[in-house]
Amino acid sequence: MRTDEELMELYRKGSRDAFEMLFARYHRKVIHFAYRMTGDQAKAEEAAQETFLRVARAASTWQPTARFSTWMYTIARRTTLNFLRDEKDEGDKVSIPPGEESGNGSPAPQLPGPSALNPEEIAWSAEIQVRFAAALQQLPESYRSAFVLNRGEGLSYEEVASVLGITVQAVKSRIFRAREMLMESLSELLP
Amino acid sequence: MKCLDWKEKISGYIDGEISPEEVRGVEAHLETCGECRTLERRMRAVGTGVARIETDVPPDFREELFTRLEAEELLPRRRSLFVFSLRWAAVPLAVAASVAMFLFVSPEKSKDAGAPQPAATSSKVSPQAEVQPSNIAPGKGQPVATAAAGLSVEEREIVAYLEVLEDPTAIDEQGDPDAIEIFETSPRRQG
Repeated sequence: MRTDEELMELYRKGSRDAFEMLFARYHRKVIHFAYRMTGDQAKAEEAAQETFLRVARAASTWQPTARFSTWMYTIARRTTLNFLRDEKDEGDKVSIPPGEESGNGSPAPQLPGPSALNPEEIAWSAEIQVRFAAALQQLPESYRSAFVLNRGEGLSYEEVASVLGITVQAVKSRIFRAREMLMESLSELLP
Repeated sequence: MKCLDWKEKISGYIDGEISPEEVRGVEAHLETCGECRTLERRMRAVGTGVARIETDVPPDFREELFTRLEAEELLPRRRSLFVFSLRWAAVPLAVAASVAMFLFVSPEKSKDAGAPQPAATSSKVSPQAEVQPSNIAPGKGQPVATAAAGLSVEEREIVAYLEVLEDPTAIDEQGDPDAIEIFETSPRRQG
């Protein structure tokens, strides 16, 4: 199986199949990343499309020594930032206060304990996902991007540092702060 | 160390980003501190929750993106199978079309009943070069023009087929019935 870097090199030489394979590998990841960053499905789709377009346009500038995923996430993050800035300029951002009770007065759902934290076994309700997504949008973008890249996309601290252009220590600090803020806003959901 | 000092280390421990020595220290502390064990559970839960935030990929996402990529000439277009096979069939098709046009526009001549009708072999006429029924004059007592003189062997064979279509009884005349199998509308097989 070809590596991402080999496929990118083939695409630079004119291989459509190589780009199709890269797309197959990453399109879900990019859409999920954009959704976690923007909290809006329509914006996530647009941002994901724009990310792949920028990857294709910038293919000639990609350095073969660079890790493709890191480079791609750098583009994805900048693209979603543009969408977030546009949203802020338009003034239509709607923030949901964290910890808001559900309208029907029913007790807030609880997450399973640590012994059931295997994502394959957890029955995540739609409500919990919505609450998490809303809480994530309350984080400052710098904390959110670090946390999403590490926990959501599986990048190491070093890779996150490369994407964000900061030090590993700064990544560690941002992720820790993101966790603290999320624990505070989702306290009634947590075990 | 106080629990407050362990928090950031626990965050790094969860992400697998601390040294083996620090791992031993964190695990030893967690064994003795219930508050920090609770903190670790909650930290893991928020990470798992963010990783579970996903959205659907629209069914037309790929098509829309690839259309845009092709419009910007960032992707070579795929040749359709029709175009691909058409290129290979171009020469025999051109020959068949030329012969058909020649026969169609030639002045009508009486059929030479005594002229032997050579058995045509399917190798003489390629599958792609089938004679279109619409190009043949309707079989209403108006035989297709034949000219025994001046026609090549191939042309005579084509004429022979045309005459069969015009006059089904001709099928019982000389000639190999099996050679006429290439025509789907052979009256012999009807009823």
